[in-house]
Amino acid sequence: MSVPLLEVEGLHVWFDLEGGGELHAVQGVDLSLDPGERLGLVGESGCGKTTTALAILGLLPPNASVSGRVLIDGEDILAGGEAAMRPHRWVDVAIVFQGAMNALNPVRTIGQQIVESLELHGRAKGAVARTRTAELLESVGIPAGRAGRYPHELSGGMRQRAAIAMALSCNPRVLIADEPTTALDVMVQAQILELLDALCRDFGLALVLVTHDLPVVAQLCDRCAVMYAGEIVERGPLDVLYHTPGHPYTRMLFAASPDLGMGDAPVLSIPGAPPRLDRPIDGCPFRPRCDSAFAACVERPSLLEVGDGHAAACHLNTRVPA
Amino acid sequence: MRGTDYVLKRIAFAIVTVFVAVSINFVLFRLAPGTAVSNLSRVPHATQQLRHALEKQFGLDKSKGEQYVIFLKQLVHGNLGISYENEQPVATNLRIELINTLPMVTLGTVFSILIGTLTGVIAAWRRGTPTEAVTVSSALGFYSMPTHWLGLMLIIIFAGTLPTGGMTNEFLLNPGFWQHLKDLGSHVLLPSLTLGLVLYGEYTLIVRSAMLETLGEDYILTARAKGLKPWTIIRKHALRNAMLPITTLVALSLGYVVAGAILIETVFSWPGIGRAVYEAVLQRDYPMLQGAFLLLTISVVVCNLIADLLYFKLDPRITT
Repeated sequence: MSVPLLEVEGLHVWFDLEGGGELHAVQGVDLSLDPGERLGLVGESGCGKTTTALAILGLLPPNASVSGRVLIDGEDILAGGEAAMRPHRWVDVAIVFQGAMNALNPVRTIGQQIVESLELHGRAKGAVARTRTAELLESVGIPAGRAGRYPHELSGGMRQRAAIAMALSCNPRVLIADEPTTALDVMVQAQILELLDALCRDFGLALVLVTHDLPVVAQLCDRCAVMYAGEIVERGPLDVLYHTPGHPYTRMLFAASPDLGMGDAPVLSIPGAPPRLDRPIDGCPFRPRCDSAFAACVERPSLLEVGDGHAAACHLNTRVPA
Repeated sequence: MRGTDYVLKRIAFAIVTVFVAVSINFVLFRLAPGTAVSNLSRVPHATQQLRHALEKQFGLDKSKGEQYVIFLKQLVHGNLGISYENEQPVATNLRIELINTLPMVTLGTVFSILIGTLTGVIAAWRRGTPTEAVTVSSALGFYSMPTHWLGLMLIIIFAGTLPTGGMTNEFLLNPGFWQHLKDLGSHVLLPSLTLGLVLYGEYTLIVRSAMLETLGEDYILTARAKGLKPWTIIRKHALRNAMLPITTLVALSLGYVVAGAILIETVFSWPGIGRAVYEAVLQRDYPMLQGAFLLLTISVVVCNLIADLLYFKLDPRITT
């Protein structure tokens, strides 16, 4: 079996809290991504999606401690610390952040910011870099003449396009898009998603799409990983998760999405809130909100294969019929 | 075109500010108890005649309104009047003192800006570490020291190694150019160092908080994600944005460079503007005070104007 392009193994992240204690934000996440593959990472706010994405590039704040491995072509990029990580950033894995509003430096033009990454990784210099920047901007649908504009002179959608152009500047193999459409209105959202779709196809990019928005995942991704309380509770091909979810949380998430809801069925909400992560969790973390909890759920379930490329962390799948 | 309007507006505003300040200065000194004449005629048995003669000589017998009009008229012609004290043109007095003050205060201010920015950036970048605690507490320590006390301490420490008073060694007769420069340089060190140490803490704190604010922004995360090195991130992304509040502070304090530092000039017997203002207040030397305050006003206003224009250059979001 070939080595996956990007592999995350046993990733744990703890944040030191002010006033003592720590928050176990990511609790043993495993992911793998093949070249050109598109993975959706979904879950409620605070379930550790963004933390996982940032941890892959070693971008967490200083109060975070990380364990686990992040492999690119089988090489652990976390092992060597910040300095060893730097050459991989933007070249192997680039990231597009939520809210293009602040992700671009307000006092430098978008052109300067793209040129900067080209020059940093030795892709191009001077006039060549500016030409390349113009091409990149064109490829995301921004007229090349806008390179001299400052972020505040562009609309939200344009800024997000500029951020995407910047992420593509060094021809990364993996693009992480963290809530790329969240702050945008619906029409612009659709355009950005189409753009990401086209770019992944044209550039052969692998995509990790971090979002709480299942319809967005449905539009772009082949596979999906559902996170809850810092761990992956189910992963598999999107249509399998949709038709035969192996975890009640996945089923309820789909039922809670208006566009994907079962026919004319009313949109459901999931009562309750995810557990706090600053204290240990007994048993299945979803148990208090689950509609199918039973005796075995006092034990924490582990992520087990339930089908071809489909795994879920739920005791229902191993329940012996009485 | 973006900018022309903004610049014109700022300049007009600056001119109005100077005019208002000049008028307030005129009124202010005349409101203070005691008059120039009572001070000048403080010789025993000063006769009424002497008082009248003095009043007439300096035009103080005219009404306040007339004095004000004359003052403005002369000002337009660039005439700042004659000092009551040494009967020299005020402009001449001020020029000499300004030339004395500028190198000393400029050196101290530049020193404080450099040290303050450096320590502020370090404190922000090393947030929550002992490095931050040390830089911030030493900055605060110097900031809260009384200026004259710090000056005296430096004199105690460096007396014997460095000259502790005056601007030049008066016993150095007919020095050559380099010798004179070296002499000046050694005299300027202690007063400048005192000024720099007292002022830099303010910069440390402002730079630190401005840097902390920008370091928390999303575009810093983007810069890290791009693979930029920490120092490049600080220079090209964080400091560039943090420069906005810092510029204002720097420009404002550069305005006060001209005012000199009264306490420091007194402790180190530095014959500059600060000391001249202090003496003019004691003597009720209205023309001198008006001249000195005009100079101070103009320099503060001009520096503010520069800050505004720099702001405009640094922050592309300012359009009007």
